[in-house]
Amino acid sequence: MNSATFEKGMVFFLPILTLLVSSLLLIILATVFTKGMPALHSGFLIEASEDFGRAGGIFYQLMGTLILMTGAVLISLPVALGSVIYQTQYLKSETGKEICRQSAQVLNATPTILFGLVGYLFFGVYLETGVSWVTGSLILAVMILPTLQVSIREAIEALPDQYKDTGMALGLSPWSQIKKIIIPQCYYGIITGVFLGLARAAGETAAIMFAATTFSGIRLPESFSDPVPTLQTHMLVLTQEAANPEALSQAWGAGLVLLSLVFFLTVIAWVLRSRLKMEAEL
Amino acid sequence: MENDSHGMMWVFAGLNLIFLCCAGGLFFFLIFESYPIFKLHGFDFWLGQDWWVGETYGALPMLYGSTLVTALACLLVLPVSLAVAIFTSEFLTSTSRRCVKAVLELLAGVPGIVYGLLGVSFLSLWIKDVFGLLDGNTLATAGCLLAIMILPTVLTLSEDAMRAVPAEYRDNALGLGLSKWQTATAVVLPQALPGIMGAVLLGISRAMGETIAVMLVVGSLDRIPDPWFNIFSSAQTIPSKLGREAAESIGEGTHWSALMALGLTLFIIVLLINFIGNRFLKRRSIS
Repeated sequence: MNSATFEKGMVFFLPILTLLVSSLLLIILATVFTKGMPALHSGFLIEASEDFGRAGGIFYQLMGTLILMTGAVLISLPVALGSVIYQTQYLKSETGKEICRQSAQVLNATPTILFGLVGYLFFGVYLETGVSWVTGSLILAVMILPTLQVSIREAIEALPDQYKDTGMALGLSPWSQIKKIIIPQCYYGIITGVFLGLARAAGETAAIMFAATTFSGIRLPESFSDPVPTLQTHMLVLTQEAANPEALSQAWGAGLVLLSLVFFLTVIAWVLRSRLKMEAEL
Repeated sequence: MENDSHGMMWVFAGLNLIFLCCAGGLFFFLIFESYPIFKLHGFDFWLGQDWWVGETYGALPMLYGSTLVTALACLLVLPVSLAVAIFTSEFLTSTSRRCVKAVLELLAGVPGIVYGLLGVSFLSLWIKDVFGLLDGNTLATAGCLLAIMILPTVLTLSEDAMRAVPAEYRDNALGLGLSKWQTATAVVLPQALPGIMGAVLLGISRAMGETIAVMLVVGSLDRIPDPWFNIFSSAQTIPSKLGREAAESIGEGTHWSALMALGLTLFIIVLLINFIGNRFLKRRSIS
């Protein structure tokens, strides 16, 4: 085969492959949708699960997932915001910045199951929060820290230099600059980070399956030491009963809800991010 | 006013310290908790082939399983992502390019448990039927599933790497009479190679740490396949081992310490690969 035919072949073949890869998303969506639809009945989202998850709805599981991810972001946001502000506004030493950058990379690269194990040991055993939604939120908070940091840092670094120069020329102290310029101007970056963090926390299973969750029994947590059922671990348990068609059907239903939740949060983050870009271009 | 400002600096510094402690503490705890097993077994921990709870702990089957599954995923993902990256970066208009990138970002966000469910319901059954196996939960199944999972990461980073090659290179090549395809493969691709290497390494580090999806389809059998290259046998990876067994002995005993030593091993491997990968990606952006 000479090179011209090869080239023609490739130019013909590559679009098909690209289309195929792009349609992977559609394939996954369509599969989850068709498999999950039979489980969805009118009360699926507002009913409790019955018969060890094989029937009924997923209300408490959904609530559990929402509680864990909200808790995670509430804990993670101040730490992420504070650390990025410190690194960008106060920290002058290059070595210090490099250490922070490497640490963020470490957190981002760490396999999530290790967060679950070490987090359970540290929070659950040493700080005595036990197997509870608090432990789960703390673990997820550490896990999503780099996600939040990246978004906030991007927003702060995209601020035009004039803003800072003007602030300094007006004699503002660093704290006033942060309060009056940086936080109001980087608002969208912070919210984008929040939604990306929520999406990441919602999709995570390995980190919370030992430390925060229960399969049946407990419903809404009544104290700080109660575990919660979550969509992710609910699916995990049902998936392992793959021989049972009812259990599998419920797992697909839960999967459909989880996937919709994650995509919804991601798309909101995109909308906010594009708004951020537009503001930066003004 | 000035005092107030100074006080706030310490608040921010404190929050930064919390962040640094999270990263440092992770490493410290893994070493601290796995110390007993290294005291007991020494470096034989990594070479032992048997894992009997309460008797002996050897990590080799899990190490081997992780390596094989990752290598398989990497082999499957590399040609596809290279081809699609070339096409997306060099042939597509910027609007369609942005669409592909958006699709990839959504794909990267699909929860691992959904992939796990897809793997259990389809992939493992297909592999069982196509290759006539008794059990569809094999290394090959896990490798294929991981390939799909890391595809968006590897692809989008490779595409970025190709996109980052300066436009003058392309213009010169086209001006010299090279076709678009020749420009892409002979000019842009070699320039983007370090970035693509970095992308693949980051994909590998993600594949190594993936727990849930792999755990559901790998078969969870703690032995090295016989013969060693038999990818159609059940095996175990480090994260799947941790996922299967950590609940049994959480927080205490030699068993826990052995599991934490596995975790430490995984942590070090993943960080090393990730570090090198980021080095490659950074080299591109400097030059």
